[in-house]
Amino acid sequence: MRKVNLVVVGAGPAGLSASIEAAKHGVKALVLDENHKPGGQLFKQIHKFFGSEQQMAGTRGYEIGTKLLNLAKEYGVEIKLNNRVIGIDDHNTLAIIDNHKYSEIRAKKIILCCGATEKPLAFPGWTLPGVMGAGAAQTLVNIHRVVPGEKIIMVGSGNVGLIVTYHLLQAGVKVKAIIDASHKITGYGVHAAKIKRAGIPIILRYTVNRAMGTNQVEKVELIQVDKSFNKIPCTQISFDVDTICLAVGLSPSTELARMIGCKLYYHPKLGGYIPMVNQYMQTTIEDIYAAGDMTGIEEASIAMEEGRLAGLACAISLGYISDNAQSQKALENIRSNLSQLRMGNGKGGIING
Amino acid sequence: MKEDYVVCRCEEITLQEIKSAIKQGAITLDEIKKYTRAGMGLCQGRICSTIIIEILKEHGYLPQYSAPPHSRIPVRPVKIWEYIGEDQDV
Amino acid sequence: MDKGIKYDGYLSEKELAGAPGVPSIDQLNVKPLAVIECIEPIPCNPCERACPFSAITIGDSIWNLPVLDANKCKGCGACIPSCPGLAIFVVDMNYSSTSALVKIPYEYFPLPKEGMEVDCLNRKGEAVTKGRIHSVKTTATFDKTYIIGIEVNKKFAMEVRNIRM
Ligand SMILES: Cc1cc2nc3c(=O)[nH]c(=O)nc-3n(C[C@H](O)[C@H](O)[C@H](O)COP(=O)(O)OP(=O)(O)OC[C@H]3O[C@@H](n4cnc5c(N)ncnc54)[C@H](O)[C@@H]3O)c2cc1C
Ligand code: SF4
Ligand code: SF4
Repeated sequence: MRKVNLVVVGAGPAGLSASIEAAKHGVKALVLDENHKPGGQLFKQIHKFFGSEQQMAGTRGYEIGTKLLNLAKEYGVEIKLNNRVIGIDDHNTLAIIDNHKYSEIRAKKIILCCGATEKPLAFPGWTLPGVMGAGAAQTLVNIHRVVPGEKIIMVGSGNVGLIVTYHLLQAGVKVKAIIDASHKITGYGVHAAKIKRAGIPIILRYTVNRAMGTNQVEKVELIQVDKSFNKIPCTQISFDVDTICLAVGLSPSTELARMIGCKLYYHPKLGGYIPMVNQYMQTTIEDIYAAGDMTGIEEASIAMEEGRLAGLACAISLGYISDNAQSQKALENIRSNLSQLRMGNGKGGIING
Repeated sequence: MKEDYVVCRCEEITLQEIKSAIKQGAITLDEIKKYTRAGMGLCQGRICSTIIIEILKEHGYLPQYSAPPHSRIPVRPVKIWEYIGEDQDV
Repeated sequence: MDKGIKYDGYLSEKELAGAPGVPSIDQLNVKPLAVIECIEPIPCNPCERACPFSAITIGDSIWNLPVLDANKCKGCGACIPSCPGLAIFVVDMNYSSTSALVKIPYEYFPLPKEGMEVDCLNRKGEAVTKGRIHSVKTTATFDKTYIIGIEVNKKFAMEVRNIRM
């Protein structure tokens, strides 16, 4: 069995940043990702990102991904793609399907950066073809260059809903409306303004009542909701659409953390159950760290800083740098970047989708 | 007629089946999984657990007070030939 | 009544009047200026660095709103493509005796052609007037965002924020 010092699961912004930071200090990091392309969410993002200079704000998401990848290469990080991590045991052995072949790797430290999964919304007809996650629609247009449908309704006015709507409009798809059960647009105003000035209606206080169609979605019926999100009878309206995109939030991918017994807690604002981590991004299990969306849904800028924090903390605990005032200061710097990004709110400053 | 639709797509468990499991006393994700098989299929609950959490909430069982579901190997669908190392075309 | 950007998706009159990045009509009457329609605290600051004349200030916390110094701003438009929110425009009120020039960020294909007549849309996406495409520009530093200059009747300079062909 192959033995390494550090395995990072997930080659998104968190995982890449973690491995770069560790490699900077001499730790040879091995990054595993189940995708055939590295970068996690970043390669789907064709828009310019928020954040500050340090996290490459104003740069398009996929370009941030390319920059991180080049850095990782420069520092000698090993990235293995098409590597599904299917399990971890309590001796830090990872069970992997490496390009269709089962294998095992043992690591001294593991950083989990597994990202998140799209949340579904259940209503009568939600299993009809044509109901899909906004992320899936985004993968179709931006990666595969196929439009998901002709006439779309977007459910959710968070940043994911607004941004994916913008990408769909850029791809020439007709978006009939964005709807949200909330009384307020939940994403950033500037993203909403882009959609609104393109003439797309934003309908608040409505949810999906049902999807109709024989072999696929042909119509969506919406219904108004009150302040406590109860449906108000006789307020149905409907749209002829062939695609219903759900952008109703993401939930952290914690299956590996749960398997090895990391303690989790429920944080509704951060997307659901998340592993508890300390100021080093260390979970309740000594050798297991976690960073990025899987420790709470926030943003790429935050995922990168959390990754760096975990990478540096691992380099220290593996003995590659001594745990002195200087390394503590480096950790403190990253933490201060994080609290800047979160406006001192701790986790929960910014929420996507 | 009560409103019904599939909640767990992998195992084809419906809303009414989940609700009746809750009535029978299955009030955590794990209990509902063991009782109905919802969350036991290919995706291992990655999709339906969010919906089941919402249904539990409607019944007054808040996720804050219950443990997250257990997770077991394999957390991704794996084909048997990948596991045992045979070639695909065998 | 307009409730504001978080409810309607466009800025209300009140929000526009209170935005620290939006110059007053008096200031706009003097010279071309940036109009920064960014009023919600979000963690973002690339516009600050993009301005070669230090006319935009965000300051230490990236959650601050961008503040425009109309005295320093030269209306050059360098800030337009830096904004990930596509929230910065440049308005030249005195392009001619009757018309104004509005520069907007644009990321759709097909692009309009210079000289073309187009429908001009307001912040709600409604066609309010016709305008003429004055310029279609991009450079490597714009990173695929285009700046479209539209000549419109002065009356609509503070309304027109998009085009339709
Ligand atoms: C539409 C949209 C727009 C966004 N816009 C912005 C923005 O403007 N600014 C911003 O800062 N953020 C933005 N974000 C958020 C940002 O993309 C995420 O916060 C960020 O990607 C999270 O990084 P991550 O590394 O934690 O996870 P991810 O990017 O999701 O990466 C996780 C990786 O882990 C891999 N993985 C998971 N489990 C396994 C396993 N068991 N085995 C092997 N590999 C595994 C996955 O394949 C994936 O590559 C946006 C997100 C979306 C969806
Ligand atoms: S228009 Fe030019 S001078 Fe004015 S704020 Fe923008 S970059 Fe600065
Ligand atoms: S770059 Fe745009 S969105 Fe960001 S602070 Fe400046 S004006 Fe606002």
